[in-house]
Amino acid sequence: MLSTTSDPRSFNDIIAKETSTTLVTGHIFEGLTTTNAFTTKVEPHLAERWEVSPDGLVWTFYLKEGVVWNDGRPLTADDVVFTFNDLIYNPDIPSSARDIFTIDGKIFKVEKMDDHTVRFTLPVKFAPFLRGMSQPILPQHKLKKAVEDGRFNFTWGIDTAPEKIVGTGPFRLTRYDPGQRLIFERNPFYWKKSEEGDSLPYLDQIVYLIVQNADVELLKFMEGTLDSYSVRGMDYPLLKPLEKDGDFTVYDLGPDMGSQFIFFNQNPGKNPNTGKPFVEPHKLAWFRNAAFRRAVAHAIDKDKIIEIVNNNLGYPQHSPMGPAAGFFHNPHVVHYDYDLEKAREILRGTGFMDKDKDGFLEDEKGNLLEFSFYTNAGNTERMDIAAIIRQDLEGLGMKVNFRALEFNTLVSRLTSTFEWEAVLLGLTGGIEPHFGKNVWMSSGQLHMWYPRQESPATEWEKRIDEIFIQGVQELDEKKRKQLYDEYQLIVSEQLPLIYTILGVKIYAVRNKFGNLKPAPYGEIFHNLEEIYIKEGYK
Amino acid sequence: MNKQSGHLSEFQIAFRHFRRNRLAWTGVMILSLLYGGAVLADFLSPYSFKDENRNYSYAPPTSIHFFDNGRLAWPYVNGMKLSFDEYNKRVYQRDPAKHYPLQFLVKGEEYRFLGLFPCRRHFFGVEAPGRWYLLGADARGRDMFSRLLYGGRVSLTIGLMGAVIAFSLGLIIGGISGYYGGRLDNFLMRLCEMFMMVPGFYLLLALRAAVPDNFNSVQVYFSIVIILSFIGWAGLARIVRGMCLSLREREYVLAAKSLGLSDIRIILRHILPHTLSYSIFAVMLSIPGYILGESALSLIGLGIQDPYASWGNMLSDAMSIVRIKFAPWILSPAFLIFLTVVCFNVIGDALRDCLDPMLKAEGHRDG
Repeated sequence: MLSTTSDPRSFNDIIAKETSTTLVTGHIFEGLTTTNAFTTKVEPHLAERWEVSPDGLVWTFYLKEGVVWNDGRPLTADDVVFTFNDLIYNPDIPSSARDIFTIDGKIFKVEKMDDHTVRFTLPVKFAPFLRGMSQPILPQHKLKKAVEDGRFNFTWGIDTAPEKIVGTGPFRLTRYDPGQRLIFERNPFYWKKSEEGDSLPYLDQIVYLIVQNADVELLKFMEGTLDSYSVRGMDYPLLKPLEKDGDFTVYDLGPDMGSQFIFFNQNPGKNPNTGKPFVEPHKLAWFRNAAFRRAVAHAIDKDKIIEIVNNNLGYPQHSPMGPAAGFFHNPHVVHYDYDLEKAREILRGTGFMDKDKDGFLEDEKGNLLEFSFYTNAGNTERMDIAAIIRQDLEGLGMKVNFRALEFNTLVSRLTSTFEWEAVLLGLTGGIEPHFGKNVWMSSGQLHMWYPRQESPATEWEKRIDEIFIQGVQELDEKKRKQLYDEYQLIVSEQLPLIYTILGVKIYAVRNKFGNLKPAPYGEIFHNLEEIYIKEGYK
Repeated sequence: MNKQSGHLSEFQIAFRHFRRNRLAWTGVMILSLLYGGAVLADFLSPYSFKDENRNYSYAPPTSIHFFDNGRLAWPYVNGMKLSFDEYNKRVYQRDPAKHYPLQFLVKGEEYRFLGLFPCRRHFFGVEAPGRWYLLGADARGRDMFSRLLYGGRVSLTIGLMGAVIAFSLGLIIGGISGYYGGRLDNFLMRLCEMFMMVPGFYLLLALRAAVPDNFNSVQVYFSIVIILSFIGWAGLARIVRGMCLSLREREYVLAAKSLGLSDIRIILRHILPHTLSYSIFAVMLSIPGYILGESALSLIGLGIQDPYASWGNMLSDAMSIVRIKFAPWILSPAFLIFLTVVCFNVIGDALRDCLDPMLKAEGHRDG
C-alpha cells in the first residue's frame, strides 16, 4: 500500500507533463533501455542489445523475443516505429518528448527492419540518445485508430476503463477511484524472469492511496495503512526513534534531485495589449545586473535554513546540477557564503544608497529598492525559506513585498502574463544535463527569467546555448563533462537562478518487503517487480 | 427630552441585569485584558514582533531558576545552546556560565509608547544577549508571547472594525430599504441577496486576490477589514429592514411625519434606535465571525503577511502535526482565538437576555 498526494491527470504517457501521471504510467509502460538504479548507467530493457555505426549516427536495436503486451499480443518493431513516428513526431500531439528528440529542428528517422529490429538514423550525433531510449513504448494495435481519427489527445484519459490501458510493464491498472485510490495488479504476461527462473513480478497487487497532503500521509504511515513514506526533514525526529517499534526502516539516500531557488524577472518585453513593460525599466536594470543578484546570493543563510526548515537535514546548493546528479555535478563553482557585510558592499558598489534615511536603499536615480516576492502558498517549507530570505533582504535595505500566491496563479504569471518581479520556486532535476535544455537554452519554455528569447539576450546566455548544442553532440564523456562543468560555472557566476538548499531523500519503509534495494538514483521501489512480501507479513 | 432620559434608564436597567451575569462579566474582564495587552503590546512584550534569533528555533519556554549554586537568588535565566541529537531532534542545553537576571523595565528595542513618545523600556525581560521566552519561540526564534500581543492588535481590532463598518452599512441600508419600501426596497434587498448568495469564504478569496501586492501592512490590514465587512453587512440589513417595515407603521412615526420631519431624520431618530437592542447583540455575536475570517485568511497564507503577526498567520505555523508534537506552544494563538470567540459569544448572549425583556416591555407600552 503506497500513496501519492495528487490525482493523475491522464493515463496517456505521451502527453503527460506532471509527475502524478508519470507515476502511474511508469508501472504500465517500458522503454527500450533503462537506467541502472545504482550505477546510473544505461542498460538494455525491452531491447536485447543494440549496434551503432562508427559515426554514431545509425543505431540498430534488437528487441527481446517473447515480450507481450498485457493483453497477450506480442511486442514488435511496429510498436516502436508507431510510438516515434505517429505519436512523438506527430505535430497534432503535444508531446513533451518531441523537444528532446529534435535537434536543430531535425528529427530522427525510425524504420522497421524486421519484426524485432528497429533502426534509428540520427541527423547529428546525440550523446544522450541511449538514455533517451527509455522513452515508453505504446501499443500500436490499441492506439492506431485513435491517431487516424485525430482523437489521440483525448484517448486514455482518466475516464478510460482500466483494462483498455495496455502496456508491457510489470503491473496493469485495474481500478481508479478519483480522489481515493489507484489499484494495480500483477501483469501475468510480464516477460522478465528472476534469476531462479520465477516469473515476475512477485507482488499481486499495489494500491496507491490518494491523500491530500503530507501530514495525512505521515499519519497513515504511522497507523500502518501505508507501507512507505517520503520523510521530510522535520518528520525525521518523529519517525527515526520509532523504527524498532513500528517495524520499519528509515533509508537515507542522500541529497535530493530537486532544487529550490530565487530568481528575478529579466524580461524586457511589453504586454502586447496594454503596451506596459512587464517589469518597470528601473527595476529591470537592477535585476539584469549580475552584481545585484550576487548581493542577494550573499544574503541567503543556507545553514540556518537547513537547520530551521529541515531539522539540520539538507545540503546547501551552489550549482544547477546537484551532487545527486553524480558524474555531471561540478563542485568547483562559485560559492556564495552568507555574508551580509559583503552583500552591502556590493550594493554600495552598484550605486545603492539610503539617500533619504528611511532605512531603505535607493538606486542612483533615487528609485526606492522595492520589489514583490512571490512563492506558492501551501508549501510550508518553501514559505519558511521565503520568510527567512525576505528578512535578510530587508536587513540589507530592500523593501520586499512578500506574498504567497496560489500555485496555478503563480505559474500563469511566470509563463503567460510575465507580471512578477522575484519568485522562489523549485524544479525537479535529473542526471542528464541535456534534459534541462528547456530551462537553460535561451529559447526554452522554462527559461523562466526571460523565456522564449529569439536570440540570446546576453553573452553568457549565448555561451550556455552553445554549450548545450555542442554538449549534446559530444560523444566523449570527458569532453562532455568539461562543457557542462563550464555551464555550471557560468550559472554560478551569473546567477540567473540563485540556489538555496537541497532537501534530503529519506524514506521510511516497512520491513515486510524482501529484495528491497534502495539506491540513490532509483530510490526505494526501482526494482518493484523483484520485491516480494516476506513470510510472516502476509 | 423625556424620551431620552427614558432610554438611558432602560439601558441602565439592562446594564444592572448584565452585571448580575457572572459569566458574561468574566468575559468582559478577559476581553479587557486581551485588548489592554494589545494596546500596550510594545511596552508589555520583551521583544519586537520581528526580533528573530535563528539560533533559538523552536526554543521551549525558558525555565526560570531561583537557586544559584544551591543558594536562593534573584530569579534568572541561563543562556541556551542548540544541538541536534542522534534523531536530529532539537535539544537546548543550559549554559550555566551565562546568567541573566530577570528585570523589570529593562532596556530593549526602541518603540513609541502609545504612539506618542519614544521609549526603550520594556515591562520585563532580560538583558541582551540573553533571551527569555515566556511561551517559547517560533521557527525563527521569535518570542511567541510578544508576537501574541502584537498579533492581538490585528486579530482583536479586525473584528471590532469589521463589525462596526458592517453594522453601519447594514443599519443604513436596511433602514432606508424598510422605510421607503417599493422599488428601492426591492433593489436593495436583491443586492443583499446577491452578496449572501456567494459562499462567504470564496468571496473573501476573490476579493483578496484583487488587492495589489505593493500594499504595506497597514493597507493590507484595512483592505482585509473592508473585505470582511463587505461580506457581513447583508444579513443585518435584511433583518433591520424587516423591523423597519413594521416600525414605520407606528403612530409616532406618523406623528413625526405629520410634524414635517425629513425622512432621514425620521429614520435616524425614530426608527433605527428601536432596532438598536437587536443590532447590538447581533453585532456582538458577529464579531467572532470576523476574527475567524481573518484567521482563516491568514492561516492559508493570504492574510496578514509575515513578519507581521496575527493570530491566524502565527497559527499557520502549527498546521503540521510534527511541529505541534515537538513545539506544542505554537498552538497558543489557537487558544487565544478560542478564548476571544467564547467571550464575545457569552457577552452577546447575555446582552440578548438583558435587552430582550426591554424589547417586550417597550412593545407593551407602545401598544
